[in-house]
Amino acid sequence: MSPLHFAGRSLSRQPARALLGVIGVAVVGALLFDMLMLSRGLIVSFRDLLESTGFDVRVTATEALPGMGPAVAEAAATTEELSRLPELAMVVPVRFGAATVAARGGRTHEVAIIGSQTRRRGEWRLLEGADLADGAAGGRPDMVVNRTLAREQGLASGSIVRLASTLPGREFRVSGIVEFPFEATGEWMAGVTLRGFTHAFPTARRDEADLLLVASRPEAGPDAAVVAIRRARPDLHAFSIDEVLERLRHAEFSYFRQVSFVLATIASFFTLLLVTTLLTVSVNQRLGEVAALRALGFSRRRITLDLLAESALLVGGGGIAAVPLGLLLARGLDSILRQMPDLPSRLHFFVLEPRDLALHLAFLVLAALIAAAYPAILAARLPIAATLRRESIS
Amino acid sequence: MVRAPLLLLLPCLAAAAAGAARAAGPEGERLPEILVSRGLLRERRLAVGQVVALSADPRGAGARRFRIAGVYEPTPDPSRFTAKRLEARMHLPDLLALTAEPGEAGAADSVSAINIALQDASDAGAFARELGARAPGISVVRAAAGDDQHFVIIERFHLAISVVTMIGSTAFLLALMVIRADERREVAGLLRLLGLRRRRILLQALLEGLCIAAAGAVFGVLFAAATQGAVNAFFRWRYDTTLVFVRVTPAIAARCIAVALPLGVMAGLLASWTLLRRPVLDLLRR
Repeated sequence: MSPLHFAGRSLSRQPARALLGVIGVAVVGALLFDMLMLSRGLIVSFRDLLESTGFDVRVTATEALPGMGPAVAEAAATTEELSRLPELAMVVPVRFGAATVAARGGRTHEVAIIGSQTRRRGEWRLLEGADLADGAAGGRPDMVVNRTLAREQGLASGSIVRLASTLPGREFRVSGIVEFPFEATGEWMAGVTLRGFTHAFPTARRDEADLLLVASRPEAGPDAAVVAIRRARPDLHAFSIDEVLERLRHAEFSYFRQVSFVLATIASFFTLLLVTTLLTVSVNQRLGEVAALRALGFSRRRITLDLLAESALLVGGGGIAAVPLGLLLARGLDSILRQMPDLPSRLHFFVLEPRDLALHLAFLVLAALIAAAYPAILAARLPIAATLRRESIS
Repeated sequence: MVRAPLLLLLPCLAAAAAGAARAAGPEGERLPEILVSRGLLRERRLAVGQVVALSADPRGAGARRFRIAGVYEPTPDPSRFTAKRLEARMHLPDLLALTAEPGEAGAADSVSAINIALQDASDAGAFARELGARAPGISVVRAAAGDDQHFVIIERFHLAISVVTMIGSTAFLLALMVIRADERREVAGLLRLLGLRRRRILLQALLEGLCIAAAGAVFGVLFAAATQGAVNAFFRWRYDTTLVFVRVTPAIAARCIAVALPLGVMAGLLASWTLLRRPVLDLLRR
């Protein structure tokens, strides 16, 4: 009989104990699996968002995040200068602003406005209607709005949006409904051209940009583009997507990475403790049986293998169940965390990567090995004659 | 001194400016004063009394000189605790003079926000509505630090994690209780043979479970209370903040014990019952 078969029979003699062990490992394993997903989830998800725009380099005036620091001055000349660099395929200036719109029922509501050129790449995704045009038919520049704003205000292509934050109120014509990569759940967002932006914010300084979106040439790549920008304009701050993510990893996203590390450590320790306890107690209750097997000719190695197989069955059974359980739990936890205000609705905290599955497997194998170590030593060092004598007397 | 509303702008100014110029002003020169945050003072190696140049332009154009009058600890903000607090505070006219474009109409008489303290805080809603109606271009937001949505969400997340951990712990506890009950199978059979009723033996199991659960819960609370200082010290060091991350309050301790005790007792009872429902001879059979 193979060690695995033998271990299976040993466990089936105590089905309640084995089942509880598997359930315990499954629940704690699910937590461990989730923490592995959480450790890099935000970074992976944020990378997807950044890459979905089609621009792989960001340029700002200072180290501050776009919109949080001084704007890039002389934006038109800067854009022109950077566009001439051979490593760069495209440079698009972007402005951010917050205004209020006249909403239904005589109320006002805040709307985030992005000023950019007519769409070149993936600045937003057109869902309905037409994209922005440079013109301003009837003195009303084009505006694209997100689904939340369109739904709550009953807007469609051709509708008029009136800003209440300017006196007199400025009007825009809705050309289409779009999805912005970074729009938050419930947030009202709109996109306009740079000319439309000055229409919406008449007191805003002209010829400035909060951010320059840069697409590198495929043959050059983002790193070469960043170097070229830094060389040409050392007063500006250029970041590739990797650099942005590295910064977020060490600052803004670090809390969840640390929480995941702490909880993963606790979950691993818990799994180890549970399986070690079950196996140790099981061996202690079967000392006579182990001694009898040794007397019948079972080698120490074979006894160790049997216990290792028992550990593998407990941890493996729980570990396999932990994957679907963990995915289910991750959906629940993700939905809780995504309720945070001002968070892009497409951002996820828990993202499954092949790496997570591999790490989960590695953790479980390690747990099974370590958990089996102590009971295996206990069983292998058992004095055969003395144990059999003690058992027969008792 | 200008307070909270300007903080969002100031870090940028301070960070941009402190990068370059440090100038020792001529003796006796009257310069406008600023306060700098502890983080900015340390990061840029500034000192109280030092003269620094601040500019709203990233290239340092139009810089103005200020004397550092003191250092302050920024009010901890849970929603921004991972961000470096490189901030400075200055008098409003100084800030307006620093940021206004030459010839920009009205710039010297405009602010980003105004903080208002009401006589009666419960009037905030009505006041916001009335002001919004009277001045349509103004956005009126009620300041409510106590119910910060970030906190609520993080609390919900931690609660969910606690529930999962508790389910795992319950399975562990139940497995241990089953093992323990199994070890005492023969003793239970003998007690039954001696005439003790199932209820009596169950009561004993219940009391034992209660003692074990109480000891475990108290140990857990004491362990958490003893280690909270280390956890807080680590996160305070890591994020350079004065925020408190972990605090074992009497309410939390009571909640832990209130959850742990019934769970321990139920696990003990369940494990014992699965054993005691068997016939006596089954219990004594080896």
